[in-house]
Amino acid sequence: MTEAIPLQAVLIVSAAMFVCGALCMATKRNAVGILMGVELVLNASNLNFVAFAQYTPFGLDGQMFALFGIVMPAAEAAIALAIILNFYNNHLTVDVDRANELKL
Amino acid sequence: MTLTQVLDIVRTDIAQSLVLFSPELALVVTILLILFVRLFQREGTYLARHLALLGTVISLGLAAYLFNRTSLSAETPEIFGGMLVVDGFTHFFRMLLAAFGVFMVWLCAITAVPSARDASDFFPLLLGATLGMMLMTSSIHLLMIFMAVEMASLPSYGLAGFLKEDRRAGEASLKYVVFGAGASGIMLYGMSLLAGRFGTAHLPTLARELAGAVQSTGGFVLDPIVVAGVLLILVGIGFKIAAVPFHFWCPDVFQGASAEVAGFLSVASKAAALALLARFSLTLAYPLFAADSTAITGALGLTLGLLAAVTATYGNLAAYAQTNLKRLLAFSTIAHAGYMMMPIAAAIGAQSESLYRPAVDAVLFYLAVYLFMNLGAFGVVALIRNAIGSEDLRDYVGLIHRNAPLTVAMAVFMLSLTGIPPLAGFVAKFRIFAVLYDTGFLWLLVIGLINTVFSLFYYVKVLRVMIVDQPEVERPGWQLAPLAMAFNAVLVLANLAPLAPGVWPALQAVTQSAVSWLHLPY
Repeated sequence: MTEAIPLQAVLIVSAAMFVCGALCMATKRNAVGILMGVELVLNASNLNFVAFAQYTPFGLDGQMFALFGIVMPAAEAAIALAIILNFYNNHLTVDVDRANELKL
Repeated sequence: MTLTQVLDIVRTDIAQSLVLFSPELALVVTILLILFVRLFQREGTYLARHLALLGTVISLGLAAYLFNRTSLSAETPEIFGGMLVVDGFTHFFRMLLAAFGVFMVWLCAITAVPSARDASDFFPLLLGATLGMMLMTSSIHLLMIFMAVEMASLPSYGLAGFLKEDRRAGEASLKYVVFGAGASGIMLYGMSLLAGRFGTAHLPTLARELAGAVQSTGGFVLDPIVVAGVLLILVGIGFKIAAVPFHFWCPDVFQGASAEVAGFLSVASKAAALALLARFSLTLAYPLFAADSTAITGALGLTLGLLAAVTATYGNLAAYAQTNLKRLLAFSTIAHAGYMMMPIAAAIGAQSESLYRPAVDAVLFYLAVYLFMNLGAFGVVALIRNAIGSEDLRDYVGLIHRNAPLTVAMAVFMLSLTGIPPLAGFVAKFRIFAVLYDTGFLWLLVIGLINTVFSLFYYVKVLRVMIVDQPEVERPGWQLAPLAMAFNAVLVLANLAPLAPGVWPALQAVTQSAVSWLHLPY
């Protein structure tokens, strides 16, 4: 079954996910939307890790990497959402363009 | 590797690893203790602060003890099966960060930030970030590097937004967390490419494989996957350093966060990120020298050199227009990060291994001095904020008449940051420029010198406002508390250290023995 899908195909999918995530981070104005872009980028790398674990001698290391790549961003999302909520309490918006009080 | 093999490694390795890991363990225990003690507290007290002070002092003591004990021994420096490395470089940064932790707790005690109610939230975050930064300086496994960067970043996001009711602090932490999460995601993607390409995430092994691959293709033929992987990882590290063009978060975060937190991010976070940059790029480049692939190391050195030059120049030019002191110091921090990246770039680009260690030596030395001058400046800003409730340069007019000792201390820190002899900042900067001269990076040396002249303008501008300008209305002065006086006195004396016999050679001996035992892949 694994022979049916070459490694390159998985890498291309993950590269596409990475580009989508990066575009999402760059264009979204909603803070939660940006976080979703970050998740796409992180999951693109997790896909890479499991793909390399399957097809190359990277092996178990890759699976461990993917596990940590899932757990760590979960902690990050928790902090990020708390901060976004706090920003909403102070500004009544989660639009990052409205975060413009800190200037010269 | 079978499970039995793994268990064997764990059995033989773990006892020694835990001993070498004890400074970090001391911090872990302190964090748990603070969180545990708060369960039984009804009213807020400063118990958390005392525990934090105790923990950082113990951690510093253990780090210094291990440095003295092992610096010349032949123990294998890799611990926990190749996840971390404890060499002279690690020892030095652990001592630096633990010492900085002690100073941070001291500063928090004299400025009363955080309040007693928040202390048991604040200090676990502070110590947790310090722990992550210690790990950043010692990781040699890509997974560990990612974990360490995250561990240093997540508490920092919280610290930046610590003043929950403050609109600006909320904005600062939002910007920090959004950009930071993006940068760490990009870094992880780079790691997946690099580790997957070579089938290992252990940095020295990876570097050897890279050199082997370069040698077998015979010259400057590089996989686009490898180039993309290295560049994406450098984006993540560059974000932590606040190197241009990944610097945009830095001024906003520093301005929004409290001066204490800004000082912490400015010194500790920067030191750890520079250590990570040095460790990552030097380890990756070292086997390439042996493989005679100097075209690649030359290109990497040139990239880093350009980045350093742009960072230093941008920081210094942008700082001149600032009126908020924390924002001004943020740009000054960016500029100093640029200076400190210069020797690393020179070491990689110099095409000669003999200059590797002197270059790292200059960075370590600069960081040690930078701790005292930059923390001092942020400390003065915090103390003035407590007294006059402002961090705006316009409100600093005539401070010499209101509090002369603080103004003198600020003058010493500012001149030391500029690099005026005979202050410590001059000696540190001189050593960096000497390395640039030795490695033949004369264009970088010229840029560094021009930058030093630029920086003189805005540092002196602050002093002119504080000392020369006459206030329109006379405002009352105030007295410093004895503890605050002692804090500033210690930092001022540290900046005057080149004048004292014996202190300077001692610091030099420490950095030299730290780099003489730098773990590099052969």
